[in-house]
Amino acid sequence: MSSKSNTSDPIWEHTEESEEQRSRLEEMIAPGTASDPNVESEENATVTIDGRSITLEAGATLLDGLEQMNTEGYVPALCSYDHEEKIGPRSECRTCMVETDEHGVVPSCSFPAEEGMTVHTDADAAAEARDVNLDLLLGNHNLRCTTCGKNGRCELQNVSIENGVEEPRYGVFDDREEYEPIDDSSAFIQIDRNKCILCNRCVEACNDVQVAGVLRMEGSGSDTRIGFQNTEETMMESTCVSCGHCVTVCPTGALVEQGLVDSSTIPLPGFTHKNSIGKIAGEDYTGQARTMTPMIQDQYTENEPVVEVVNRRAGTGTDTHQEADD
Amino acid sequence: MADDDILGADPAIRVSSGGPNRSGGRELLSAAHEAASETAVAEVGSTGVPALEPLVLATADGESAFFSRCPPERVGSIVETLEAGELPTEGVMAVVKHEPGTSRLPRPANGPLSVGTRTVLGTCGWAVPTSPEDYPADGFIASEIGDSNEAIAQVAEAKLRGRGRGDAAADVPIADRWELAREAAGEAAIVINANEADRRATTDRVLLESAPLAVLDGALAAGRALDATNILVYCNEADELAQERAAEAAAVLEDELEEGISIEVLAGPDEYKAGEATMAIEALEGNHRLEARLRPPYPSEEGLHGRPTLVHTPRTLVQVGEILADGDSSSSEGSSATGTRLFSVASEGDVSGDDETSAPTTVELAAEEDLATAREAIEFDGHLKAACVGGVFGGLTRTLDVPARANALRAAGLGTNGVIELFGEEECMVAFAGNRAVFGEEENCGRCVPCREGTQQLTNLLREVYHGEYESEGIRELLRVMDTTSICSFGRDASRPTRTAIEAFETEFRAHANGRCPAGVCK
Repeated sequence: MSSKSNTSDPIWEHTEESEEQRSRLEEMIAPGTASDPNVESEENATVTIDGRSITLEAGATLLDGLEQMNTEGYVPALCSYDHEEKIGPRSECRTCMVETDEHGVVPSCSFPAEEGMTVHTDADAAAEARDVNLDLLLGNHNLRCTTCGKNGRCELQNVSIENGVEEPRYGVFDDREEYEPIDDSSAFIQIDRNKCILCNRCVEACNDVQVAGVLRMEGSGSDTRIGFQNTEETMMESTCVSCGHCVTVCPTGALVEQGLVDSSTIPLPGFTHKNSIGKIAGEDYTGQARTMTPMIQDQYTENEPVVEVVNRRAGTGTDTHQEADD
Repeated sequence: MADDDILGADPAIRVSSGGPNRSGGRELLSAAHEAASETAVAEVGSTGVPALEPLVLATADGESAFFSRCPPERVGSIVETLEAGELPTEGVMAVVKHEPGTSRLPRPANGPLSVGTRTVLGTCGWAVPTSPEDYPADGFIASEIGDSNEAIAQVAEAKLRGRGRGDAAADVPIADRWELAREAAGEAAIVINANEADRRATTDRVLLESAPLAVLDGALAAGRALDATNILVYCNEADELAQERAAEAAAVLEDELEEGISIEVLAGPDEYKAGEATMAIEALEGNHRLEARLRPPYPSEEGLHGRPTLVHTPRTLVQVGEILADGDSSSSEGSSATGTRLFSVASEGDVSGDDETSAPTTVELAAEEDLATAREAIEFDGHLKAACVGGVFGGLTRTLDVPARANALRAAGLGTNGVIELFGEEECMVAFAGNRAVFGEEENCGRCVPCREGTQQLTNLLREVYHGEYESEGIRELLRVMDTTSICSFGRDASRPTRTAIEAFETEFRAHANGRCPAGVCK
């Protein structure tokens, strides 16, 4: 969970949380993601990007520098998000790779800006890495833009156009057999995992910002997906309070407001977003969506540690971890 | 209950077994205890050569007789002969003369125990694993660490590199990470990462089972040098004997040394990804799902619960022990690499590790020795078509004339996780690449695109070869990007099998695209 130290958001500045409150929440919330180290620079640093020098304040990654200038190479940095919003860097898409003289090819969104670093955005290895990784994303993305509610306001679409993608190397995800059903159970938010790029922004918005503890990352390998901490299958059965923060941060059409699902679909009969996938989950919920269902403590959460303690000596050292079932 | 000690005993019977062979060893052990009246009997760890196990060692008057795969009904007569004042020799594999009371396993002139060197393996299969009396006479290294600067300087001067994929300082000088940890804020922790789910790679398990005190002593020495407060031994949930021995050794060390460092033993999932250094930390922190952490900063600066954390394998830690015990690091003279390297050696088809016949043989090689030496440790008839060096994500090579040093292995495109698999003519290199790619696709944590999606597309591209399309450039491009942009070693290493297969056996890929498998394996 990120720290709230360097934010200008008054809500955070004026929130006084006791340690006790915080730890109770953290025990309940299980987003399934790694606790990354702090990747921001510790002090001001002057770096050279594409031959031009720029000084970045403490707390910066290389991407902060890139964003302040016109770089030689186009750096999509698709999954990155404004880190003042307490979301990211997740650094999963690796379309932010740049070459440095000091450390070779590195992910700019999650690499601390170090004094004296020299960055080249147009180096062949970095450009190749960005192109290939963007195509890898598209290779697992359902590219039915014409029935997508995010058509025209989609970050993946934008960077693909900007990056000059014409024919993705690995094709696109177009096997109807393999599609996951659309989760249409909630009256407010629709989930189409076939469009998800696993950037984790929604999970962080839900857990780190809203502290709602609904969404999580689950599974591994090609089964990795966004799921619910109470282990239910649909949004309606989850503990979602429909705050909508996940929708506002989603870079693609994976999380869309129900009212906008077909907002940019070509008006032809039968030509709809649901038809584009053809499988729907949660249609049984015809009535009013469940009212506010905050995460409550007795709600089951799958949060059993994967390790087991073999010995537990009464040593004099510091306790390193909490007991599994205290 | 472990036996007390055995080193000075004469006459003595040792029963050596480990891992999956231990139940057989226990049977022999109780038979020996039953038969013996004046003979000391002890259970010792594996020698690292499971093919000989259970191994009975009968010792008297500076001579030891080796009985490999000893049947339980033989034990009675072995003990009887020994107690009658003679060294039993009927059905013996080898008889070795040695200094009475030696602290190291006497080595037969032939067979797997004669191959390579036995420095860190020296006490394996000879000393009672958790006996402080059997621990080398000079005592615990950790108790000698007075000045942390001196200890770090010794490790730095020796240029010791981390051993194995589970080491957060794999193939790089570990002293650099120790320095970072010392400068970082917070109390340091040491993780002994022994969770290896690749059944080809057994060297860390062998060390933890057979020489747990040496592993923990090395960790404690590192802990003292860094003023650490905690040591966590992270085992594989399937390696029960290793867990047991680690826990016993922890109890012994805490009693003997009265350290202010607590030692915990924990068991993590039997999954390949769980052995990656940052996923080990995630597991130890109690997460219910494992994925790799970003880096830098490295765990040495910000690791377990944000504390500076060294993550080392048992292999690395026993080398630390060797260096600190030697003091003057004389072993590194004239060589750019310090210490020996351990390899698990097997021929393809017998690496499942689930029973005694299939577990790989451990070989220890000095830095100047070639991998070819290790070949002598196992039975491998016929022409060596290729070897895969480095485990499931190892690299293929046609020649074993590669020195057993991290830099040399890397330069040859090979992996450094201490595994050598030998392949004969019947092995198809395209099928090999495909199987390893599928493993990567199924076992990755799912976090970063080059690994999660890359292994999937790599599998697809290799399937296309069978459909007549071999896109050499496209595959190489994908492998480059997996290698340079994956968050952790999983994705980087997952590119190695295919890359080296194409480099060494590209004609096989072209032949498959033309509908023919030169090895005659693929339909």
